[in-house]
Amino acid sequence: MRDADDVIANVRRGMLPAHIYNDAEVFEAEKERLFSRAWMFVAHESELPQVGDYVVRRVMENSFIVSRDQSGEIHAMFNMCLHRGMQVCRAEQGNASHFRCPYHGWSYKNDGRIVGMPFHKEAYGGEEGFARKGQRLLPAPSLGIYNGLIFVSMDPDAEPLEDFLGDFKFYLDYYTKQSASGVEIRGPQRWRVKANWKIGAENFAGDMYHTPQTHTSVVEIGLFREPKAEKRKDGNTYWAGKGGGTTYKLPPGTFEEKMSYVGYPDEMIERMKEQWSQEQVDVIGRDGFMISAASVFPNISLVHNWPKVAEGDDVLPFISIRQWQPISADETEVLSWFVVDKEAPEEFKKLSYKAYLMCFGSSGMFEQDDVENWVSLTNTAGGSMARRLLLNGRMGMLHDDSPVVQPLTEDEFCGPGVAHVGYGEYNQRHLLNEWADYLEKPAPVTENIHVGAPNVDGECSSETAAQCSSEKAEA
Amino acid sequence: MSTYIPIDSASSPLGQDASKTAAVGPSLAFDDQRHLTAHRWLVEETYILDRQDYDAWLETLAEDIHYFMPIRVTTALGTGYDTAKDMAHFDEDKYSLSRRVARFDTGHAWAEDPPSRLRHHLSNVRTFATENENELVVESAVLLFRSRGDVLEPSLLSVGRVDLLRLEDGVWRLARRHIAADESVLRMQNLAVFL
Repeated sequence: MRDADDVIANVRRGMLPAHIYNDAEVFEAEKERLFSRAWMFVAHESELPQVGDYVVRRVMENSFIVSRDQSGEIHAMFNMCLHRGMQVCRAEQGNASHFRCPYHGWSYKNDGRIVGMPFHKEAYGGEEGFARKGQRLLPAPSLGIYNGLIFVSMDPDAEPLEDFLGDFKFYLDYYTKQSASGVEIRGPQRWRVKANWKIGAENFAGDMYHTPQTHTSVVEIGLFREPKAEKRKDGNTYWAGKGGGTTYKLPPGTFEEKMSYVGYPDEMIERMKEQWSQEQVDVIGRDGFMISAASVFPNISLVHNWPKVAEGDDVLPFISIRQWQPISADETEVLSWFVVDKEAPEEFKKLSYKAYLMCFGSSGMFEQDDVENWVSLTNTAGGSMARRLLLNGRMGMLHDDSPVVQPLTEDEFCGPGVAHVGYGEYNQRHLLNEWADYLEKPAPVTENIHVGAPNVDGECSSETAAQCSSEKAEA
Repeated sequence: MSTYIPIDSASSPLGQDASKTAAVGPSLAFDDQRHLTAHRWLVEETYILDRQDYDAWLETLAEDIHYFMPIRVTTALGTGYDTAKDMAHFDEDKYSLSRRVARFDTGHAWAEDPPSRLRHHLSNVRTFATENENELVVESAVLLFRSRGDVLEPSLLSVGRVDLLRLEDGVWRLARRHIAADESVLRMQNLAVFL
């Protein structure tokens, strides 16, 4: 990456080299140093309700089968046959006890273990020529699950997922744990946009400033109860752990009244009260802030909003989780899921789905205008003039780096992290500082994995000795 | 083993009240008056959509319209489904369609300002009788060409549609549209357009 030190130094002071939003060299650095280490979302457990259910998802170019095996355990396995490298699963989703390679017929259980090698004896001379025992489709180097959200990391030494998420878990619960049963997620809608992946992540992390301009139209058609999109600036932006987001300021009232104001039925409110910590309840009830959009570094975002879905004054809340899956420096596949509490009444689930479709996703009236901006920005960022321009990303900060408004005190906002009321680019800077941290780290060391080859250390040459011995014990 | 899995309103969370009128028998001859009527209706609609005269388009829709475009997914042969469960790109009633149209009239719908240049290429029209002489089922293929601005490459969307046309007070109206996208990942920045 050209002038990497300068780029990172500028990003750290809030002056953003415009070309980072469309630069093949920057993208290569991101692939090597960021996406090879950070935790990446691949699926939610509710997408795999039954034993044998699977979905195929990617981490960059790497195809993974995310499956629930016969004992109910979740796996993420590299979708490449150990023999000649063919994809062993070419459907996007389904239910299977085994995956068989169409090329030479090697077959694997849905936990990845190899169970069939045609002519093992005749072709390889049996175990002596190819040690089959203990061989399995390569597991994702690291796998972690929080509230049913399944993440993988390409770094075998990745810090535990919960440590990575840190204090953001507090906020993640609002979206993904509204009852003891957790959520069900549906989708994803998938579409490709000619925009850099960072822009969506930054936008959802903290861009309250774009709402009045970009989303004027949805306010004007009466999709929201609040007459003015400026309502946003009374909310705050918070950053905690690996993620941060925005809130709305709600009218005065109790927790129950506030939840009811955004459209939750009483029974759901009761369950949230039971489920959430006192602090989680107090952020809404005592402090009056309702969580809205958020991003978790590097590339997933969440949104919670409450439009009208029919004539009248009633609003209905919806939640969406989305991933900005990088394709190249100037293209992103958007995967957008609808999220709803498993225990929500059926009628609520229906209307919440309707609210989601009207606002977000491939046809959502909010999202349409967002993407229009991001595509245009990305396009212009690819040119030589953009190499001269340092975008000012210092909103909310004075010349001496002190904040325009002081952070909220614990009496004003009891959530973890640092929160500021009003417009500011605090969170975008946090996100890009994380980005800079990763770009300064070398790529993790990767080791070759020998498949079935004779091994001087013993008969078993699979990726870990521990796994090997457990296989032996089973056998 | 059939690979054709029809899209139906029952698979939509919001389509339970949609008309269940089904096609009866083979497709009508091309010189059958009913086919000519249905085909002409679709061609006229295509011009309205290309002109982006969405207020006129809304007038052609029945009050109980169900406009449904589920997510297509790639599944193994014989799986029995090829759309995502309970998820769609569009799952619309008259109210939500009218909000989408109203947005274009605000002057702030940036996704279509400047407007796209659209061309709905309509083909493969087949018309089917139903048990009701006031209702026809029509299948068609649409290739949507969409060009935005002067920099980006145009995008294409290929879909198959199954429509229900109903004669109401002497006017044929669209009462149901099922749209089968031919891609599971749409190569289009948004669906601020109709199919």
